This record gives sequence, C-alpha cells and structure tokens, in this order.
Amino acid sequence: MALSKHFVTMTVNGAERSLHVDSTDSLMDILRDRLDLKSVKDGCRSGDCGLCAVLLDGKLVNSCLVLAAQCRGSVVTTLEGLVEDPLMKVLQQKFLKYNAAQCGFCTPAMLVAAKDIVSKNAKPSEDEVRLGISGILCRCTGYYPIFHAILEAAEERKP
Amino acid sequence: MTPEVSHFLKGVKQKGEEGKLLYVGESIERIDGLEKVLGRPVYTGDMLARGTLHAKLFHSSVAHGTIRDLDLSRAKGMPRVVDVITWRDVPGINESSAVIPDRPLFSSGVVRSTADLIGAVIAETDATAQDAVEAVKVTYDELPTVFDPVEAMQPYAVKVHDEGNVAKQMKIRKGDILKGFSSSSVVLENTFRTQFQDATPMETEVGMAVPSADGSVTVIGSMQSPHHTRAALVKMLNMPAEKVRVVQAFTGGAFGPKSDETPYDVCGAAAIAALKLKKPVYCRMDREESMVMHTKRHPYVIRHKTGVSADGKLQADEVELYLDTGAYASLGVFVIGRGIFHCTGAYEVPNVKADSYLVYTNNTYAGSLRGFGGPQAIFAMESQMEDLARKLSMDPLEFRMKNMLVPGKRNATNALIDSSCGLPQCVEKVVGSSDYWNKRKIFANQVGQVKKGLGIALLMHGNSLGPEGNDYAAVLLEVGRDGIITVGTGLTEYGTGAITGVIQVAAAVMGVPLKWFRLARPNTAKHRETGPTVASRTVVIGGNASRLAAEKLRKRLELVAADLLKVSQSDVSIEDGVAFDRADTTRSVGWADLAFEAHRRGVKMSEESFFMAPPAPWDTETGLGTPYLQYTWGALIVEVQVDESTGVYQVTDVHVAYDVGKAINPTGVLGQIYGGTVQGLGYAMMEELIHREGKVVNPNLADYYIPTSMDVPKNFKAFIVEVPGPLGPFGAKIVAEPPIVLPAPAVRNAVLDATGVAVNDLPVTSEKVLMGLKRGLQKASDQSSGAAK
Repeated sequence: MALSKHFVTMTVNGAERSLHVDSTDSLMDILRDRLDLKSVKDGCRSGDCGLCAVLLDGKLVNSCLVLAAQCRGSVVTTLEGLVEDPLMKVLQQKFLKYNAAQCGFCTPAMLVAAKDIVSKNAKPSEDEVRLGISGILCRCTGYYPIFHAILEAAEERKP
Repeated sequence: MTPEVSHFLKGVKQKGEEGKLLYVGESIERIDGLEKVLGRPVYTGDMLARGTLHAKLFHSSVAHGTIRDLDLSRAKGMPRVVDVITWRDVPGINESSAVIPDRPLFSSGVVRSTADLIGAVIAETDATAQDAVEAVKVTYDELPTVFDPVEAMQPYAVKVHDEGNVAKQMKIRKGDILKGFSSSSVVLENTFRTQFQDATPMETEVGMAVPSADGSVTVIGSMQSPHHTRAALVKMLNMPAEKVRVVQAFTGGAFGPKSDETPYDVCGAAAIAALKLKKPVYCRMDREESMVMHTKRHPYVIRHKTGVSADGKLQADEVELYLDTGAYASLGVFVIGRGIFHCTGAYEVPNVKADSYLVYTNNTYAGSLRGFGGPQAIFAMESQMEDLARKLSMDPLEFRMKNMLVPGKRNATNALIDSSCGLPQCVEKVVGSSDYWNKRKIFANQVGQVKKGLGIALLMHGNSLGPEGNDYAAVLLEVGRDGIITVGTGLTEYGTGAITGVIQVAAAVMGVPLKWFRLARPNTAKHRETGPTVASRTVVIGGNASRLAAEKLRKRLELVAADLLKVSQSDVSIEDGVAFDRADTTRSVGWADLAFEAHRRGVKMSEESFFMAPPAPWDTETGLGTPYLQYTWGALIVEVQVDESTGVYQVTDVHVAYDVGKAINPTGVLGQIYGGTVQGLGYAMMEELIHREGKVVNPNLADYYIPTSMDVPKNFKAFIVEVPGPLGPFGAKIVAEPPIVLPAPAVRNAVLDATGVAVNDLPVTSEKVLMGLKRGLQKASDQSSGAAK
C-alpha cells in the first residue's frame, strides 16, 4: 500500500510548523517523534487511556486518534506550550502540593485537561472536574489528589 | 516480636524520638515532583534516537503445544527488517525467570501458554517490526491443556512441566483442629474464587540496549529492580556482571510485574540484538502485549471451614488455598507464603490447619502485584467473617471486634502481636467516621428498590520481605563541595514517592533541609546490589540504610564544625542546615561552607550504608514462627447503594484508617491510601483479565476496565494512625501495598448487607448481584408456592 504524503502547516505551542506527514501518521506521532514534544505520552494508541491528550483548536483530544493530515491550519497546544501560562503555574504548584503527580506518566495530560477545565469554567464543581478528566486514566493517585489540586487552583485563581 | 528480634533492634534504635523532628512527618513535595509537573522526566521511550532499531516480541498463539515449524523467511525478507532473533541467538542461558528456572526467554520447542515468547523481529521502524511479526509463521502440534488449578492437581491432568503441576506447597499446623471444631457450635464452609487482575501501569514495559566498542552493553529501561535485571541479563548474555550496566529510567508506574520477568524480556531481547547487530536496540511492549505477557495477580480458589463457639469466638479454621500461577512460577513461590500467612487475616484463631498449593496451568503466568497474595487471602477470610456473623445473628463489627488481633494475641503463624498493633485505633476511627451504629439502625428499615448497605474489612499486613528473601538495602549519600547531597541507591522510584521518604530520613538525621538533596538515576555500575524494590519496603529498609549513612556523615561533619568553631564535638549541633555551638548559637557555620571545609580537609564525604533486617524465622513443617518483623494494620468501612431492579451499585462512601507507624510524609501516605484503595475497588468491582482456553480475550483498556475519575466514590475519608513499629526508621511501617487489600471484601460484604446476595467470586459485578437477586426471588417464590400446596 503506497502511503501518500501530505504537506501540513499547523501552529504548535505558538510556533508555525510545516511538515510532510504520511497519511497514517497520528498527531501523537508527529508531536512526539517529529516535534520532540515528549510530554505527550503513548499509553495505548487506541484512545482508551488519554495520556496523549492535547488541545486541538481549543478542544481536548486524544492526539493518537487524530490524523496529522487532518490538522492543516490547526492550533495545537501541549504542556510544553503552557509552562509560562499563569493558570498552569498555579495548577503545577497544586499538583505538587497534593502529590497529584506520582509516576508522572499521566501528569502532562491531566495538567492540560485541568487547564482546559478551569479556563472554560472559573469555578468548576467537583463533578465538573471529574467529568473533565474522565478520559484520562491514572493508576497511581486514585484521582482524589488531582481533584483537590484542580479545585484549589481554581479557587485561588478566582479574582 | 521474638526476643532475638527485640535484642537486635536495640542496636538500631532510632535517633530523633527524643528531640525535635525536622523533615520527618512533614508533607514535603516529592523530590521528583517538579520535573513531573513540568512534563520533563525522561522515560525510556523519550530517549529514542534516530538509527535505533526496534525489537518486537512475538508469542505463542496456542496454550500448550510443540513448535513443529518456525518459518521466518517471509519476515526476514521484508524491507527494513534487519533480523529475527530466537532461542538460537541467546548467547548464554536461554532463561528468563525470577526465582525457579522454569521459564525460557524464547521457546526452543515447547509452549506452555499464549504468553510464551518465541522470538523478536528487529527492524528499522516499529511499524515494520509489527508487520514482520505478522509474517512469522509458526506451526504447532497442540497438546492437551489444563486451566483450573484444582483440576491441574488431579492425577489425570496434563503435566505443564515434567516435574508435575505443583510448583510449591506450604502449610500451617497450629493447635488441634479437631479439638477446635468440637468446641464449636457453628461451623461454616465456603469456597471463594478470585480472578486475574492486571497491574496496568500507565507506561508499558520497555528497554533499550546500547552496545559499546569494548563489548559491554548499557541497558536502560522501565523497571523496579535494576540489579535483578542485570543478574538475568548476565545469564542470558553469558557476560561478566561488570560488562552489563543496567540503568532505571523514569518509570511510569509498576505495581509488581516490573519486578518480575517482563523487564528481563524486553531488556534481554534488546541486549541480545544490540550485541549481535552492534547497534542500539529498543524493545517496547504495546498495551496488548504488556497485558498478555506480563505477570498478573494469581487467581485463587480458597476453601474455609470455620468453627465458632456459641459466644462468637473463633475456634478453628481449616483452609485450602490453590493458586493458579499459569505456566510459570515467577514470584508465585513467595506469593503463596504471603497468602497462607495471612489466611486468617486480622483475627485470632487458636486452631488452624492450612494448606496452600502453587499450581501450574496453561493460563498466562501470574506473579507480583501490589498486595502479593494478601488481597485474595483477606477477601476469603473477611467474607467468611461476614457470613459467620450473619449465621450467629451477631453484628458483623461486634463479631470482628470480639476476635480481632490486639497486643497479646497470636495470629495464624502463632506470632505474638506486640504493643505496636494499632488495629483497635483504626477500627475506632472508621466506626466513628462512618457513623456505623446509627447507620445500622437506619439501614435496618429500608424499603423500595434502592438499598444501602455497609461492609467492613480489617487488615493485618506483614511488613517487608519477611520470608521472601534477604531483606537488605544499600544507600549512598555523597556530599559535594557545594553542599549538594546526591542520593544513590538501587532502590527505584516508580511513582510511590518512597525515595522521597528515604531522603527525608537522611535529612532528619543530618539536620539538612531537603533542598540540598538530589536523586541519582539507579545504575548497577555505580550503586551496590540493593535487592528488589518490592514489598513496599523502600522506606522501612532503605530508610534504615539511609539513616546509617546519614549518621556517619553527620559525625564527620560535626568534627569539622567543632574544629571550625573551636569547641568539642559534643558542643556542636547541626540543625536546618546550620552547624552551631550549642552554648552560643550565634557562633555557627552554614551548610555549604561546612561541606567545602570538610572536602578541603580531605574528610570522606560519601558514605554507602548497608542495612539488613534480622531474619524472620518460621518453621517450614508447621508454618509457625515470626515470618514478619512488624505489621501494618488497617480498617475499612464502605457504604454501597444497590438498585435491586438492575443489580447496579455504587460505592458511595469510603472510611479508611491505616496504622503506618510513623507517616514519614503524610501526603505521600495519603497518596498511597487513595491510589491503593481505588486500585482495590477496581479489583472488587470491575477488573478481570478474562482467559478463554488460555487466551486473554480483553487485553486492552477498552475491554479491561480500570477505575476512571467517574468511578471513584463520592466521599472518601482517610485516617492515618501512628503506633510506632520496631523495624522502620522513626517507627515507620509499610504503606504502599496494604490499601489495595480491603476494598474487595468490604464491597462484597456491603452488597450482601444491602441485598442479601453473597458474591463469592470476584469481581462483584452488577450481573452477579442481579443473578443473585433473581435466584433469591426464585427461592422465595418456590417457598411461597410450596407453602400454598
């Protein structure tokens, strides 16, 4: 089967990137292998674990389920692109405080999801936080430290 | 605690109990936390360089058979495929087994399960390797199979290994079982079954091997125990230990299997290929491969015959425990011990007869998984306790409190429970928090189809390795000229936070804040053999090694400070990173200056200390003795809500307390309690790796359910109880494994309380609850129609 190449230009973490991609390349493959954004984790390649979650045009998606060729003109944000974000800094502090990052493998996806939750809803309820991270599996924390961290970050950030 | 042990412990009595404790008992951010929230830890898969070859393992498709023909020609002929390695390519011993040498790395003829490895394709890309695996043609002559451990013990059963299907057996003979039954007025017999649970660390198994020009090899991977991995590789590669360096990369969760054979498999395949092809080779299991090929939690069949006197005191327990270890023994040879030693749980039973058998079948193999035999044994015992209480018409809590272990009582192995037992305090916490007695009254008068129920379970968990091998660790502390203290050990961090605890102990002993500490990557070329990072033993055993090293460094630094301050050593104190004259605290020297001065004077500023726990003696004939030097205690009460029209239920409330001796890092302890409880709820309610004719039918995260954020209970109350133990630094007991144990029986008992349905085979699914309810209705209608006749 011949693979067709696609020329794709997208904005990744604020910078415009142009690349030739194969029609079978997922966005996750491109982010990890071509753009060296290693915070995007590969846990299943079938959309079940959520460890590859990134923001695609403002929406939280599993990047393993998005074809890179679909991303022409898109805006993609990973944890690497959020390190200077003031909300992200608060979230990171709270993750540290509550021991919400244990093995660390789901942490980047959780943080990106947390940022997505709180930036769209300044005062999320615990149920909204649960729903917001429900696509991302964590085997270490039992999720409670993550709830506590996100809720407290939202609380502190309120004007 | 035996007298010998108490004597030993005098020699290692902890510092600090008398004075102010800094850094221990504080919720300190974990040492690896900052990197993790920045998304920057380098896991093995993140260091893949261009030009690295990809190894893809392939495994048997039949549960038992011989390989008639292995046709690699098509796979080898594919473009970008470099090689296919099989048992013929193993330079040393073709073996990948943790304890008993029963498991080959690659099959040389016989396959005993669908997880048996046959070889690995080496290709330029992962995708090519995957395609080539599909082009490998294996023809088998199938052999008869056996999948049930009890059946596998029958004389007619096919032999999985020539030596027979019982890999190991153990027993306990305590008191006189017949006398115990004769003084019983109630005798209850039950059979319990547990399932395969998958560990599901978020990062799957991965290893990378980089050959050097001098013929040595560096192996980097995701693992719990780098020294054990090296030992396995040395055998496979037929190379001296100094030519094999194993480095543990950041590891994305482990939970047991990463201390067993799969790290040997991925690292071994990578190393064999790397040395053969003289190129770096990367070998990673995808999710499905990981779930098929790594060790799982042993399914057990457990029979209890338990006698109780009319006043509700346990008199006798006759227990049989059968472990399905699959095709290979792996760590099952130790799981069997933890299972049998915990078979009567947190209760005193004067007469115990227990027999346990580790049995080979043609299922995929079982080994280490958080809890290590404890969850199965305690599920059975706590279920039995619940049913006995009902039979006696006693309150289940009252019945438990009447029989539970408290100081002065003796457990199944006849070990005397000493004053370090905090079980009563744990019970008190959860009973109060759950409003138990009041809820009991309210729930007694429920109407309608939604019913609530309470379930209880109590825990005794033997600490550290005990009979599972020499319990030792080494910790290296190196103080640099700039004052930075590098902590090196073969004990690994894979998520638990335990290494932060080890560092807190050093900080407390040295009087130096945590900001001065750094953690080195575990590396077999640099760090002394440390034993495995298992059994939650890092803080207890590693913490003691850390304490010993810190004490030596502190003494040397006090001498330097005394010289600088022109006082005697006994006048010097080091606190919070400042050495000062006790008589005049304004006369002081800061940490960095002190470290620099020590180096300038040629004082040895590195110290590697070794700690080994005293032996845990027990008699193999009777099973009696002291297999553990201290215990962690715990209590759990859960509340469930069951819709009787569907069997669907939720755990709404969790009240849990653990006696951890001393919480070195309370937030870290809570992290283990939350995480372990939720993993235990998964085991209780939904997780089952289903085997059909030896094939795993749900090796993926769509069909094997683990709890998501939507599944965890609404209310979770956790309590830390601190009754110091004799073994750990500052009285610390282990905490990582225990919380996974109690949810299964507590949930089973709560569902029984709510509905009258006893589910004796895990997991407690809604389907089983509904079937139970229907059977109950059926019985009720049979009875009423009978009465009408």
